[in-house]
Amino acid sequence: MEKQMNEEENIKEVKMLEAQINHLRAEVAVLQHQQQEMHKDMTFLFRGQMQDALSYTCGQRHAGDREKVMSKLKEEVEELEGDLKQQAQMNGISLNSCTIKTLQSSGSKMVQQVSVSGHCSELVFQVEFELSEVKQEGQRSERTVSNLNVVMDTSGLQNLSSFLSGVEESRDLLTFFRTLRTFSDRCEERYRTFQHFQEKYPAIVSLPGGCRSEVMTLGHPELPSCVLFVYWSVDVSTDGKVTPNINLLPKIPEQALQLFPSLAQSDTTEAFQSLLRILGPEAALESVIGAVSLSQDT
Amino acid sequence: MEIRARSRKVQPHQRGRVKQLEAEAEELRLQRKRLKAENQTLETLKKLRTSMNKQCTDEEVMQMEEDSEDSQLLQLMARHTQLTDLLQAHHLIGGYDIIKTRQGKGVCVSVATNYEGVYLDTYNLEIDLKPKLRISRHNIPPFIPLNSLTEQCNLQSHFRVFLDTLSCHLNAFTGRKQQLKLVKEQQKSVEVMESNVLCSLLVLMLTVSKGKPLVLCTLEYADHTSCLPTRVHFECEDKQLPDSPEWKKNCSLLIKTPVHKALMTMKTMGHIV
Repeated sequence: MEKQMNEEENIKEVKMLEAQINHLRAEVAVLQHQQQEMHKDMTFLFRGQMQDALSYTCGQRHAGDREKVMSKLKEEVEELEGDLKQQAQMNGISLNSCTIKTLQSSGSKMVQQVSVSGHCSELVFQVEFELSEVKQEGQRSERTVSNLNVVMDTSGLQNLSSFLSGVEESRDLLTFFRTLRTFSDRCEERYRTFQHFQEKYPAIVSLPGGCRSEVMTLGHPELPSCVLFVYWSVDVSTDGKVTPNINLLPKIPEQALQLFPSLAQSDTTEAFQSLLRILGPEAALESVIGAVSLSQDT
Repeated sequence: MEIRARSRKVQPHQRGRVKQLEAEAEELRLQRKRLKAENQTLETLKKLRTSMNKQCTDEEVMQMEEDSEDSQLLQLMARHTQLTDLLQAHHLIGGYDIIKTRQGKGVCVSVATNYEGVYLDTYNLEIDLKPKLRISRHNIPPFIPLNSLTEQCNLQSHFRVFLDTLSCHLNAFTGRKQQLKLVKEQQKSVEVMESNVLCSLLVLMLTVSKGKPLVLCTLEYADHTSCLPTRVHFECEDKQLPDSPEWKKNCSLLIKTPVHKALMTMKTMGHIV
């Protein structure tokens, strides 16, 4: 009788345990699914120090571990900070945020949604694109960018707009950033030159639109009606070629023009272009400014 | 007797089964505990990352620190994932990957290329930093004028300008190579008669229609930093054909559009087979 009782109890226990196990399995499956979803939203690479840190935060801790895990991870983070700094310098681009979400991951194909924002000197940008990676047997995997979307505040950057719309179509990320960099470098050059001249000749040079604008005006304080406009634009072609264009346009009163027809615009403009070709922008502008300010002494 | 005999046989078996199940349940409980803890960590890291991207105020960070004793470690972990992502982003958008070599005495720079969104070949340069910036080894194809590019740009002060120019040349070259590959794949009726390693010259045999004379189309890419030709020339037994309005259109199409796309358009227009 007793044994029979035991047997019944055992059977009961087995059933109970089986039910418990089923329940636990379901719970584990839910948790695993949650984890997978979180991995899709964010890229976590738990290797090396990160793996140790994860184990630690998940409760596998021993005495004295905390300091060790912290210092090792800190070391690795500092190394990465250094790498990022170097990479930013190399690319001439600073990135402040990046999110990578996995849209599809099946066997040999992976699709990720990448969103990056940052700035290249003064130019702030945000780019979004889909990156698909197809692993091929015996070959390097093929990576393709699609659905490229570039967001930039282009007010005052009309020169870039046709290039920007073309880049979204050509999906050429590398050209986009190379062009952005070159464009920004050329604009910096203009900025530095304008600023230099304004500091050197404050009486002659004025920058009505600020140091970063395209226009610098040259005028003698005693001849307020005669002004020379220097238009320095940085043009970008649809395929990303950046070319600075500097033009000199005089603004001379009608009366003066009637008296001295030789002052006609085209002459000055052409003469300035040949100066540019021979001397380069800075020296050419210097000589024009010299001419304007010298009139004071004569 | 029979029942007793059976129960005697079953009992040890059942007891073993219970033990087995108990062990399994325990293992699952441990797994559940581990997953819960991991998910909680991931959740916290996700929150930290989001606030990092938004460049949250110090207040929020303070809050975090009070919340958990591991917050410092979690902050570091979140920063780690952020840095990894940012470096990956640089890799995707920047075009130049830099790795220190020989304890900082040199660097290895790789220049990526892509065309129409497809990442193509990557080229590498090994550079000595001391005593003078100098390219020690590289795998840039010999027909890319590396020497004259280094002379044009002062490596020491304008290293990035040099890389930009080099990247321009390499991207245009791989782009032209990719175009040629696409032409071969997509246009079975077009025969590639001649091309050079730099892909700066391309001679194609085009079929207008059956029975009509063939057109020899020569594309010259004098600007090696561009994927578009600088000169397009047609030759045909029918001397009038190149001067016909539709072939004049084809000519300007080929000048403005990448060759594989231009041929596709010419085909849809019925100008070639």
